[in-house]
Formats: sequence, C-alpha cells, structure tokens
Amino acid sequence: MGMLRVMSRRGDDRVVWDLEKADVGELDAVAAVQEAERIFAAERERGATAFKVETGKAPERIDVFDKKAEQIVLVPRVVGG
Amino acid sequence: MLESTFQVLVLVWVVLTALALFCLALSIGSHWGDWGRLLGPYFSGERRAHAFMREMLTPEEYQQVTTCGYLDVTSPSTPDRTYRIPGAGGLVHVYEHGHAIMDLCLQPVDVLPEGDVVVMHKLMILGNEDEYLMKANRFAPGIITLRRGFL
Repeated sequence: MGMLRVMSRRGDDRVVWDLEKADVGELDAVAAVQEAERIFAAERERGATAFKVETGKAPERIDVFDKKAEQIVLVPRVVGG
Repeated sequence: MLESTFQVLVLVWVVLTALALFCLALSIGSHWGDWGRLLGPYFSGERRAHAFMREMLTPEEYQQVTTCGYLDVTSPSTPDRTYRIPGAGGLVHVYEHGHAIMDLCLQPVDVLPEGDVVVMHKLMILGNEDEYLMKANRFAPGIITLRRGFL
C-alpha cells in the first residue's frame, strides 16, 4: 500500500493506493495512483516539497512521484519568517 | 380584589420571564452555533495533525514533545548540532556542543496546525537540511522572542 499525504490547515489530506492491484491493472487502484500523481504534480507546481517516508529510514526529498513509496508527505511552500 | 390583582401580576411576570428566557436561549443557541461552525474545522484540523505527528514521530520523540514542549532533532550532516523545534510554534533553536548558536525562523505559506509544523521541520531538517538552512531566516540566539500565535 502506498499513501500520499498533503499537509493542510485541515490536518492532512491523503490518497491511498494498492500497488499490487494497480500493477495488475485493477481500475480503482490505477485511478488512485493517477490521482495521487496528479495531486503530487499540482502541489509541486505550487511550491510544495515532497518527502518519501519509509519505516526505519531517514526521510528523503523526492522530485518525482514514486508509486512504490510507502508514504509520500507533501509539505507546502515555506518561507523564512 | 387585592389578591386577584397580585395573581395577575405574578402571571404576567411568569409569562414575561419565560419569554425572556426563550429569547435568550435562541440567542445563545445561535451564538454557539456560529462558534461551532467557525472553530469546528480548526479543532478537527488540530486533532488530525496531532494524530499525524504521533504517527510520524518515534514514541520517544512524541513523549519529548508532549512533556517538554519541543522536539530535538540531530543534524544529519553535523552530529554535534541539534535543532530544537518548539511544539507550539516559534523559532527553532540551534545548538552545537550544547551551546545555542542561532535561532531559525521558517514558516509555511499556508497556515498549518501545530502538529503538522513540528513534522514539517523534522522532515525538512532530516531530508533537506541544506535547503532548510538556506530558506530559514537566522537570528542570534535569544534576541527575538516570539509568542505563541504570532508566527
């Protein structure tokens, strides 16, 4: 299972997908991956930074959507205060 | 005669009091309804962000935030450097060899709940420290105090 989480004032919005089902072409799973990819691209366009978060590993900044990631967290654009 | 006049007055007083209480109840109901509508998403967002923070932090880190009010993150590039992230907003204090060397101010453009902000700092420090330091405004330690809610 993969998960995309977008930080927002509502807490976090998320999209979950099943990679195994997406790989065999199950429509709902493929649609979920596509939706996650679309949100990823849109948020990156707005200046968000994406991090791949995997259990037991340090978070890693990514620029390209990785459907194999356990979890991707999108942090909105930040500025010095 | 006097007794019946008194009874009428009491009856009028009871009716007027009931009417006043009814109006007051309506007013308060509307008032709380407005507050509920305004604050509902805020509390819901804070609750979700808190759950998210609990999920993204180790049990030890979560305990530190809840008991001490901050999270210490060790720099991935400089092991003697520690970033102290406040749990309720404010400047991030940077320590090297136990001494404060600078304060950092970095905030999201979109308003985020407190729990999300803690996770944001942690992810950026561990996953993208150079950019984190590049974007943050730096201050000498201790010269600026930001009260909660002003960031």
